Amino acid sequence: MTETMNKRQSYWRRILRQTFMRWGARFGLFWIGILAFVGVFSPFLASSFPLLISESGEISSPVLTYLQPVDVIFLAGFIAVLLMPLMRLSGLRKLLLLLGIIGIATIFSYSLVSPPKLVIYEQYRVAAAAGKYDWVINAPVPYSPRDYQRDRGDTGLEAPLSAEERTHWFGTEENGADVLSRMIHASRIALGIGFVATGIAMVLGVIIGGLMGYFSGVVDMLGMRLVEIFEAVPTLFLLLTFVAFFGRSLYIMMVIIGITSWPGYARYVRAEFLRLRKQDFVQAAEAAGLPLSSILFRHMLPNGMGPVLVAASFGVAAAILAEATLSFLGLGLVGDPSWGEMLNQAVQSSSFNWWMAAFPGGAIFFTVFAYNLIGEALRDAIDPYLGKSG
Amino acid sequence: MLLSVKDLSVWFHQDQKVIRAVDGVSFNIDRGETFCLVGESGSGKSITALSIMRLLPSTGVARFEGQIEFRPEGTDRADLMSLDEGSMQEIRGGRIAMIFQEPMSSLNPVFTVGEQILEAVRLHFPELSEQEAQGRVMEALVQVQLPEPETRIHSYPHQLSGGQRQRVMIAMAMACEPDLLIADEPTTALDVTVQREILRLMKDLQARTGMAILFITHDFGVVSKIADRVGVMQKGKLVEVGGTDQLIHRPEHEYSKALIAALPENLAKHEVHEITESDNPLIRLDQFQIHFPVRKGLLRRVVDHVKAVDGVNMEIPKGQILALVGESGSGKTTLGRGILRLIEPTGGEVAFDDTDITGLNRSQLRQFRRRMQIIFQDPVSSLNPRLSIAGILTEPMKVHGIGESPEERLEIARDLLSQVQMDADTLWRYPHEFSGGQRQRIGIARALSLDPSFIVCDEITSALDVSVQAEILGMLLELRRERELTLLFITHNIGVVEYVSDKTAVMYQGKIVEQGATSDIINRPQNDYTQKLIEAVPRVPV
Repeated sequence: MTETMNKRQSYWRRILRQTFMRWGARFGLFWIGILAFVGVFSPFLASSFPLLISESGEISSPVLTYLQPVDVIFLAGFIAVLLMPLMRLSGLRKLLLLLGIIGIATIFSYSLVSPPKLVIYEQYRVAAAAGKYDWVINAPVPYSPRDYQRDRGDTGLEAPLSAEERTHWFGTEENGADVLSRMIHASRIALGIGFVATGIAMVLGVIIGGLMGYFSGVVDMLGMRLVEIFEAVPTLFLLLTFVAFFGRSLYIMMVIIGITSWPGYARYVRAEFLRLRKQDFVQAAEAAGLPLSSILFRHMLPNGMGPVLVAASFGVAAAILAEATLSFLGLGLVGDPSWGEMLNQAVQSSSFNWWMAAFPGGAIFFTVFAYNLIGEALRDAIDPYLGKSG
Repeated sequence: MLLSVKDLSVWFHQDQKVIRAVDGVSFNIDRGETFCLVGESGSGKSITALSIMRLLPSTGVARFEGQIEFRPEGTDRADLMSLDEGSMQEIRGGRIAMIFQEPMSSLNPVFTVGEQILEAVRLHFPELSEQEAQGRVMEALVQVQLPEPETRIHSYPHQLSGGQRQRVMIAMAMACEPDLLIADEPTTALDVTVQREILRLMKDLQARTGMAILFITHDFGVVSKIADRVGVMQKGKLVEVGGTDQLIHRPEHEYSKALIAALPENLAKHEVHEITESDNPLIRLDQFQIHFPVRKGLLRRVVDHVKAVDGVNMEIPKGQILALVGESGSGKTTLGRGILRLIEPTGGEVAFDDTDITGLNRSQLRQFRRRMQIIFQDPVSSLNPRLSIAGILTEPMKVHGIGESPEERLEIARDLLSQVQMDADTLWRYPHEFSGGQRQRIGIARALSLDPSFIVCDEITSALDVSVQAEILGMLLELRRERELTLLFITHNIGVVEYVSDKTAVMYQGKIVEQGATSDIINRPQNDYTQKLIEAVPRVPV
């Protein structure tokens, strides 16, 4: 039964095919795919700890020892996403399952994974140089983002590939850490903040907008006033205030961006639901006596999600920019690198070091561009006036 | 001869293939003559008209060939195929004018109708002074018998009714005194009474100015009222051309015969369903009303009510088909949905099998939902595009506990599809893969899936071609005999009413003005409005 169903093209499959027929959307997806890969495997791609070492015949993996709980969550989430297409579940159940897996992974990793508190980045490098190990397999970029290479003296502000004895593809920043390594680790923040903030906004927007649209009348009027109140809140200044009062936290940032950007989604969903409410197939569902949950989630929501998804892909880009802006202003995270913060570093140093501005700036540009391209292509594919899908 | 079209062919790009939309069409139109092109949707009649105006969309047309000669009085003949764009523009609007189906979208909403006609006049008669041009606009509006032309000239399109807008469109076309008027389904969107006036107006204007009319329509009733000669189109080919009377009564081509035979007027009348006296009516409406509040001001105070349905008393006996007729805005759709409580009634009583259902709450209503269903007009929006046909048919069954297992429900669904003459493999397909007629069949299958005793059919055939309409109506009558269905058949098509219904109720401004046996209402209408309505219906003389 499901096999015959899969052979037929459902609506979303058609939309996705049309979307990714465009080169812009393909480029966007390609870039985000690279980012996701880099973000998930960043501890293995850029780390001062070797992937594998053999010490007098005994093989061990320092990188696993130093794995943080967050790294484990990302890995678990990634594997779950890869397994999703194999499962025969509806879209909504898949999403819930994915959230469940990530939740469980969070609890387990924070209670079970305990990396050493004291981190000496150069320890393995020095030992390897002293010939302590039989052989060493290093990460492709053998520097951690906060490895300031104290063992090597002053390594600050080296242009890309200028030093002969060691390779820094993207150069080093003022403290002597590798720029490429910092960028790889920062991609995680960019992805995380985009998805989580937009996810929060979308869930809130769909629920509130859906209720407004379906029940209309008084509910709609009160809802719209709420929407207007939230639309009047300037996100950036609220973020600045919160950072000033509660310190810097990525999670607060995600939540605030999320709860200030839902009104846009609510408006879209409301408009769609008001339109769908009058559609004959919804009337038919009502005439058949289907329960409210089925009418709302099976008959109306899937038909009203198009514009929301388009808005979401632009929303992700906006959230990434908001975080970059904040970090650029010096109010981002302490210690952990982010692209915006790296731009800030580039501006602050006394001389202009192009590699510190060009690479993170380019990364922000391409990521925002990629999401916009996907959003654009999705909008064109959904637009009923362009493609006659009816 | 005013216009002669020879071997016109148009090819279109579609899904990487090239399709011949118009295939070697040849016809002539004389001065002062009305030539009708009839055919079902997709037969290429509008494309033919647009080719004459050279208004085909530039994207999509692959190739375009043939000869179109135009010989207006006093000028040399012009070959419309090879004319340069500048001279073509003079002919367009000046010598050949065109009016379309939907007058609202053909008029610019930000200009008054006077300004829009003035622009057309200025373009084609640049030598006229301001005053003369204004005079011509007024003259045109008077000519099309627009009520109060002095004030209407300053109206915006949205301030006019559909019929008035179509009059303005005709005025705009007539202001430049064309030799040929191309009318593409100009009355399809209008009510019958308005349609009659517009057709009469076009005839009048033709008699006065001697222009020729190329009239495109799908409605044989309209053809019999207006045409001198008729051409029947099928799949891009002009299969038969003949005088109106000859074509309607003695069609020669197979397709024309089939088309004429499918007209509801020509379908064999089914026998009236006799009711036994003891039967209680299945549906009884008592002072039924639906008023929509009109709110104004900051506090949204209710200042007035729109009385969509205003005190209707009606009975539908078990097993009978009651036709509800009326013009647009008469409240017939609202009434149909109100009975099913898809729109909440504001007063009165609906008794279904002697139980008043107006006061029931959602869960009490659910058991009645199963017994009363609805089929919609628009086959596009009536099926959820995201669900497969299997999902559409089985979900209501599951909710009402019909069938023990998913497999059994699928079996029932397969059976339903065969009853509406669809293949069983339809189950795993999605609505967009079907044509309008097929979707309508699926809509009927969905309504039947709960095995109801009462179905509201809301204009179910008005979006379909006549041949498909005949099939659907025949099938519906068959189903109602097998299943003892009671139907409320909402329609504006009197031919259909005559064919299907046992009883008829005429609705006007929210009230039932007359009801009774169908043959009585059609042949001996008592009420003034009913008389006017029945008289306005263009009917094919049988």
